[in-house]
Amino acid sequence: MQTNPLDEKRLQQLTQAANLKKLPLAKLISLFENRSEKATQERHDIIHHITNNPKTFTGKGVTIGFTGTPGAGKSSLIAELCKTLTQNNDLRIAVLAIDPSSQKSGGAILGDRTRMHSGSKNKNLFFRSQASNLELGGITHNTFQATRLLRYLFDLIIIETVGIGQNEIDIQYMSDHTFLMMQPLAGDQIQFMKAGIMEIPDSFIVNKCDEERLARTSYHMLRASLKQSKLIVLNAKDSFENAAKDNIFLTSATKHKGIQELAGFIRSIQRNDQSKNKKPKDIENFYLQKTIQELYGKFGLDILSQEQEALKQLTGYEEKMTFATTAIEQRILER
Amino acid sequence: MTEPQKHQITDKDGNATKDRPWIFRTYAGHTNVRKSNELYRNNLAKGQTGLSIAFDLATQCGYSSDEDIAKPEIGKVGVPINTLDDFAILFDNIDIAEVNTSMTINGTSMWLLSLYVALAEERGVPIEKLQGTTQNDLIKEFLARGTYVFPPEESIKLIVDMYEFCLTNVPKWNPSNVCSYHLQEAGATPVKELAYSLVTAITVLDAIKERNCFDEEEFERCVGRVSFFVNAGMRFIEEMCKMRAFTQLWDEICIERYKVKNPKFRRFRYGIQVNSLGLTEEQPENNAWRILIETLGVTLSRDARCRALQLPAWNEALSLPRPWDQQWSLRLQQILAYETDLLEYPDLFDGSPVIESKVNDLKEQANAEIQKIMDAGGGVEAIKNGYMKSQLVVSQAERMSKINSGEHIVVGKNRWTDGIESPLVRDSDGGVFKVDPESAAETVSALEATKAKRDDAKVAECLKTLRETAIKGDNMMLASIACAKARVTTGEWTATLRDVYGEYRPPTGVEGQSLSIENETLDTVREKVKTFMDTRGHRPRIVVGKPGLDGHSNGAEMISVAARHAGFDVIYFGIRLSATDIVQSAIEEDVDVIGISLLSGSHNEIMDQLFEELDSEGAKGKIPVVLGGIIPQADAEALKEKGVSAIFTPKDYDLMEVMNRIMDIILANDSE
Ligand code: B12
Ligand SMILES: Nc1nc2c(ncn2[C@@H]2O[C@H](COP(=O)(O)OP(=O)(O)OP(=O)(O)O)[C@@H](O)[C@H]2O)c(=O)[nH]1
Ligand SMILES: [Mg+2]
Repeated sequence: MQTNPLDEKRLQQLTQAANLKKLPLAKLISLFENRSEKATQERHDIIHHITNNPKTFTGKGVTIGFTGTPGAGKSSLIAELCKTLTQNNDLRIAVLAIDPSSQKSGGAILGDRTRMHSGSKNKNLFFRSQASNLELGGITHNTFQATRLLRYLFDLIIIETVGIGQNEIDIQYMSDHTFLMMQPLAGDQIQFMKAGIMEIPDSFIVNKCDEERLARTSYHMLRASLKQSKLIVLNAKDSFENAAKDNIFLTSATKHKGIQELAGFIRSIQRNDQSKNKKPKDIENFYLQKTIQELYGKFGLDILSQEQEALKQLTGYEEKMTFATTAIEQRILER
Repeated sequence: MTEPQKHQITDKDGNATKDRPWIFRTYAGHTNVRKSNELYRNNLAKGQTGLSIAFDLATQCGYSSDEDIAKPEIGKVGVPINTLDDFAILFDNIDIAEVNTSMTINGTSMWLLSLYVALAEERGVPIEKLQGTTQNDLIKEFLARGTYVFPPEESIKLIVDMYEFCLTNVPKWNPSNVCSYHLQEAGATPVKELAYSLVTAITVLDAIKERNCFDEEEFERCVGRVSFFVNAGMRFIEEMCKMRAFTQLWDEICIERYKVKNPKFRRFRYGIQVNSLGLTEEQPENNAWRILIETLGVTLSRDARCRALQLPAWNEALSLPRPWDQQWSLRLQQILAYETDLLEYPDLFDGSPVIESKVNDLKEQANAEIQKIMDAGGGVEAIKNGYMKSQLVVSQAERMSKINSGEHIVVGKNRWTDGIESPLVRDSDGGVFKVDPESAAETVSALEATKAKRDDAKVAECLKTLRETAIKGDNMMLASIACAKARVTTGEWTATLRDVYGEYRPPTGVEGQSLSIENETLDTVREKVKTFMDTRGHRPRIVVGKPGLDGHSNGAEMISVAARHAGFDVIYFGIRLSATDIVQSAIEEDVDVIGISLLSGSHNEIMDQLFEELDSEGAKGKIPVVLGGIIPQADAEALKEKGVSAIFTPKDYDLMEVMNRIMDIILANDSE
């Protein structure tokens, strides 16, 4: 794949986007979501340009995932967190909120903005909805692509998942820290255990702890089940005020409780923190595999592993992807 | 004295007699207090027996006329009220000790009642004489009507405050009116109407009980104050049965849940506005018949006859009614009550096995639904988790689907659409009412005048007490009445409490909803969507926006669901947004089209704001804008000149055709 220099218009768009001007930035995200071949080439060129100009594109790019049961209050809490985190004007935040697409029509209703009091003119806060999309290319393909761009422009990228299905498993690979959100309901935790989803998060949030009583009982219950499953190192000595030491956060989005503490914690999260060791070292490779598998199944994956050596010579996701699909298409023709 | 016969009603002396008619009401108010006062006095002179006050949206949502958000709305759909001085003019020469005043007010109910009480006290009218109703049903505001101000819990708290205050001080006042009317307008079936409104009543009464401010006798009287405001649609036999079901269910709830012994306090008292949702823009003269038929449903059965009735007008889907339109509807009531023998008989349906069976069926289903909601945590919870709201959207979507397929016949809309044009719409004003845009100035300058002459220190002190009372959680009535007398404004009262209580946006109910429309147009649209995706590399994206204070959400909800059905990705995030909210969102989401829905009549001002906002972001002309709602023909040309690509009105009920036209606009736009 060749690398083309960017034309004047594109350069201007990128500069504006780096200054967080919303219209050009939104157009660029669309280009990253775009499925056409032309867009693939352009993305390749853009990423090339960006990585060669680190002084212009200064985002710290810490990526944080919020997953959990539908209605747990993810959007509400994210809205509150954003209010707090943007207060000092020192953090640039992008939020990606994913909602499910209709099986029948492919369309989606994207409603997470309802909770965001959104449409803020604040440059440091950018909100984008995404449909989970059922077409080829992977459930979280758009999120992965948008994140590739956003991490150069923003300090913090917050991803809200659908709350059900494959997304929950994937989010951990995409983010530097994953929160699992739940409500203070007794049955909840047990269900999570069953689904095996408890293994995913780095931390837990029990939201809707409007009253201290709820926070207290939720904490003890959750801690008990975590202790049992030995999933997390517990340091808080069973005292609910210190829940954060157990990586448990007790919040109320509506009563503004626990928000400051959680926001403080989020500020401290580092990009690519290897001690966490959950995120694959090479997220692009992960998505490459995933996409190939979705497009071509095991057949595709086999060829991918046969071509490992050749792939190593290439840089960049678009390039590898183009190479891989061409190779596979070739083999299909030969079959 | 002759022995009365079965077909006669008798008075207490056993003589054959005739019932008194229900209260005739006309929902009215517009422009400013002076004009509305004239209107009320005229209506009373014409034989109307009660006042039914419509407030403008700013007053309903708690903003004063001098606030930006209020400006497009001043006097549009009701009368603007800023201070007690406005109230004095509104009720000038009207004897408030005599007249029964019904106020369609909700989020700011306590404030309007405080003004009314303050007015009485300043006039020297004993407040125990005041009679009337503040609508004050916040649950249905979250579900259907949209003029909520505070979060659910605090909203209920204020309602309880009013019951507590009124029972001893203003005993003839109905502090709240449980509404099923709006639920039907938002799509509710009879069962959902029964269930959700009864859940509302239970939620309020449970909260009163929980406060424990009444002894047993007082609580019984308090239950007796609960009145209802119900809808009646075209299926008039079923509607009559619904009314009977209401009467019986309410009695059962009062006995079983609240142990009310005195039957007088268990009586289901209700007022009616007949259905407007089914009134058409097409062949609008047919609406006159619809209104008559709907009226029969709530008057025929004596046991389930309404206490008060207000009717919409033939031109409902065109604009607010003009005085003549209202008069025509009032005449319907008078003819029915005075020219016919309707009021001479006992109940006509007692003992009918058909009616009884239908009533029982409705009751059973409603009871099951009520139980389900109570089990899941009650009314407030069912607001917050969106259950009831999404159930309304489900029914509305079903109704629209059936109109689209022709299964649900609407004469003049999807059947017998050809006809001779009605001479009614050929009036010089096109059958449309217009508020004089200059009239708002009078309201704003009156507000300025009041502000200039009031005692600012007193105002500050009253607001401080108001805030402190709110924080403490005490009853807010006295502090509010003090504010009213000090000439605090509607905006100031509300802002103070908003600051303490916070604000709330309820769930929109559209997520996961679908339509059952399968037709050729759908195939055509999906084909176009596919073409679009192939050439542009992404799904068409639309933001459906509801700017301003307009709470009519049905249209926006149906368009959102329809767009998803066609294959769009739809960004919809509820009502009461600013032009900035919508434009910023449209930009961030990089949508292919902006769809605005406006029914409250402020489209000219609000579209100006929207285009200004788009322009300032360098996006004007880049993103096409379409507009739908109650948009009079006369405004269409100017709106298109401003930049609106297409306008849709209620006659555009064919949802896939709407999507088809939007797809064409999107496909033709290559401004990128
Ligand atoms: C139902 C209704 C209500 C319901 C609304 C429930 C809800 N959640 O939506 C209730 C009872 C709550 C209500 C209340 C009020 N109402 Co009302 N209401 C109506 C009514 C009867 C029908 C509107 C409707 O829902 N139609 C069904 C939907 C599906 O159709 P639609 O909205 O027209 O949408 C279609 C098209 O217009 C178009 N469209 C609409 N939007 C969009 C957007 C896009 C992007 C596109 C492409 C297309 C599109 O496509 C849709 C599909 O066909 C109309 C009169 C009428 N018959 O039209 C009055 C009407 C709109 N109401 C009116 C008034 C005054 C009020 C109040 C303000 C009264 C008051 N003073 O308090 C209140 C307050 C509401 C508020 N908060 O703003 C007036 C407005 C007057 C004016 N414009 O001059 C009307 C015209 C009645 C009248 N003649 O007086 N109302
Ligand atoms: N009592 C209480 N309610 C809350 C809290 N946070 C959110 N809610 C409510 O919970 C409901 C769901 O909130 P959302 O923020 O939309 O939840 P979500 O997890 O983003 O939901 P989905 O995106 O639909 O999965 C709303 O009615 C919120 O008002 C909280 O801390 N306490
Ligand atoms: Mg959400």
